[in-house]
Amino acid sequence: MAVGTRRRPAPCCPPAEAPTAWRDRTGLSARIALVGNPNVGKSTLFNALTGAQQHVGNWPGKTVHVATGTLQLPGAAAPAQLIDLPGTYSLVPRSPDEALVRDVLVDRSGSDRLDLVIVVVDAANLARNLYLLAQVLDTGIPVVAALTMLDVAVTRGLDLDARRLGELLGVPVVPVRPRARGGLPELTDAIERAVATSGRPRRALPIAPLGADIEQALGKLIDRITERSAGLQPVSPRWMALELVAADDGVAPPEAAADLMLQLRPDADRVRADLAGRLAASADGLLAGAAELADLADTARADDLDGDIATAVAERRYEWVHHIVAAVVHRPAGQRPTVSDRVDQVLTSRWLGVPIFLAVMWGVFVATTRLATPLQHGLAAVVDGPVSGSVRYLLERVHSDQSWLAGLLLDGLINGVGQLLTFVPLMVVMFALLAVLEDSGYMARGAFVADRFLRLLGLPGRAFLPLIVGFGCNVPAIAGTRILSDARHRLMTSLLVPFVTCSARLTVYVLLANVFFGAHAGTVVFGMYVLSIALVVLIGLALRHSIFRHHPREPLVLELPPYRMPTLSVVGRQTWQRTKGFLRTAGGIIVVTVTAVWLLMSIPLAGASGGFGHVDVEHSLYGGVSRVVSPVFAPAGFDDWHATGALVTGFVAKEAVISTFAQTYGAQKPGDLHQAGDLGTQLRASFDRAAGGHAVPAVLAFMVFLLAYTPCMATVAAQRAEIGGRWTAFGIGMQLTVAWVLAVVVFQVGRLLT
Amino acid sequence: MVLRDCRPGSHVRLSGLIGSHPQRRRLLELGFVPGAVIQVIGRGAVGGLVVGVDDARLALDARTGGSMVVEPIA
Repeated sequence: MAVGTRRRPAPCCPPAEAPTAWRDRTGLSARIALVGNPNVGKSTLFNALTGAQQHVGNWPGKTVHVATGTLQLPGAAAPAQLIDLPGTYSLVPRSPDEALVRDVLVDRSGSDRLDLVIVVVDAANLARNLYLLAQVLDTGIPVVAALTMLDVAVTRGLDLDARRLGELLGVPVVPVRPRARGGLPELTDAIERAVATSGRPRRALPIAPLGADIEQALGKLIDRITERSAGLQPVSPRWMALELVAADDGVAPPEAAADLMLQLRPDADRVRADLAGRLAASADGLLAGAAELADLADTARADDLDGDIATAVAERRYEWVHHIVAAVVHRPAGQRPTVSDRVDQVLTSRWLGVPIFLAVMWGVFVATTRLATPLQHGLAAVVDGPVSGSVRYLLERVHSDQSWLAGLLLDGLINGVGQLLTFVPLMVVMFALLAVLEDSGYMARGAFVADRFLRLLGLPGRAFLPLIVGFGCNVPAIAGTRILSDARHRLMTSLLVPFVTCSARLTVYVLLANVFFGAHAGTVVFGMYVLSIALVVLIGLALRHSIFRHHPREPLVLELPPYRMPTLSVVGRQTWQRTKGFLRTAGGIIVVTVTAVWLLMSIPLAGASGGFGHVDVEHSLYGGVSRVVSPVFAPAGFDDWHATGALVTGFVAKEAVISTFAQTYGAQKPGDLHQAGDLGTQLRASFDRAAGGHAVPAVLAFMVFLLAYTPCMATVAAQRAEIGGRWTAFGIGMQLTVAWVLAVVVFQVGRLLT
Repeated sequence: MVLRDCRPGSHVRLSGLIGSHPQRRRLLELGFVPGAVIQVIGRGAVGGLVVGVDDARLALDARTGGSMVVEPIA
């Protein structure tokens, strides 16, 4: 996996929503990006600078979440646009998120050009943060550094001279405390001054020098690039030169450069053709330049284990960094281990790491299932009681309480909104827990501990969390895939979560197992959980070796941010943003589907007695549809419209399966799942009939189908929000196929055995 | 000696990275450059390591820990 840690408090967002706002410069005085390592307080600073003036969404054409906002600079006529780019360790990307950062920084074409980069620098981890700053300097964009986490540095006994740091770097350095809004006026001033001068030609931009020998060779290459790309306004020649010589092993520099340039300027066809031609023509020249440089570096470092240029550049950059750190940071003599280190010696230890991790996961699972339940019941009671009641009263007043309008409002819309609202407490609890785990720093430790197990499926350790939460409810689980920083991992986890059997499915298992298996009911239900886990693993392996086979399988290199007390503001803000996003993107689908089911149940089939809204289920369009679909399940042993009808409502919500059974058999919904009574007798009779006497394998097949097919409309809606419509459709197709095949196998094998 | 073999609590100096580690360049960029001082903080259940480089703390798996050649600091 790519190096990654806690995600930024991020935005959630319908891909469709992001359109032109990013590129439209009209009415903006400048375009400014925030860049920094993960966990340096970048998004907190962004929130502090932009306040409510933000827009969150996917970057156009990418599945990378980016927030933009506006910042009014004191002296400017129009506000500036501020872009909160994903956290990254380097401008040599290893994930789509990081690639976006590089692309935005080095794209110098027309309106996409940045005027300024604010590099957010963690004072408590200065060296590595300055490494990124050095790379940003190489892109040739003016830089202002915002120095965060000074308080953390102080608690570690570090004494940092910010003014001296600015002098040595050659860029303005402003200490900020975004959570307390400290230092913001000074930062805004520095930004304004830098923006005001950013268009003017200057003698020399500050750079991080790489040593006389490398610089000399680099100079030749820079000259060559400048000469070849004249009139094309490419990215900074220095950055290009470094990119060329330090390209990853195995990639010939000219191709890398051509690829790069093409990626960076996908909109400019003419430029692309022109550039590709010139690059091809100059490939030899560039190669020679690169080889020359590599030779130089090699001779300079013949005594090294890795005498290659990538190592040399990184090493020299760190030499520069360490030189600066030594000059501005004073450390106390004889450093003691930090509190974080001592906590880590327990939480990630050989013996306690796994048990503690499992306990935390168990806690999250219990919280999302138990904590939310009373709230859900409360909300449902309000919707069923006062809300429905007052609407019914109003309808009675206008004498239309028996009309189709009453049905549409009460059983359709209000019922749908009620179902949607019952998910809200679940989502709030889930998102709040995610935020606490991320903000506290435990998430990275959990990811480290669980890494080895999920590695088998090609997923990073933190994918454990959504999968566990899925046992409670798949909807927050899919929304929880946002803790994964790589879109490919989010996709794969979202496709696997529906196979995790949720608590709504459990109620159906319990009812059917008690009706058909009596004393062995517990074993059967347990078997469903084992099957669920087996399905996740097997389908995960299948996906990994099919559509995801090109995913890089990378060793674990993961930053562990220092432990911190989670703050209410960060947790609250993140929970609110994510819940809002869920309601906006998933709400409509849920309400519409519930209403559609009501409509199907209300429309009488031709020849049925009773008009619209007054027909029994068997003779409604719903019953008709169920009967038409039903033969599909003949090979699985439950070609019966009651069973199919229950599966159709189960597609909307598994909670509704038992009540649909009750409705279609005209029986009472059992108050106690262990005492099915009349419903049980009818279920036994109809499974017996449909399966030709093999009711047991048929009901097992039914339960297996119920386990594996689409969990509910809310899950579909959540998936659509996270991975888009096409992958959601793929997921539904996969669930239905797997469910049907398994059900048929279970029934056919079972029939031979019984 | 490779980093994987080091005891928690020890400080070592990195000589270099061996083998074709897919994240070789990223490791360099995170501060694992020749000469860097690495502090071994802890060891996980399946050979993973928690280490300190500069002021950062990083978790590495066994393979990564095995690709770093180190020498003890006296």
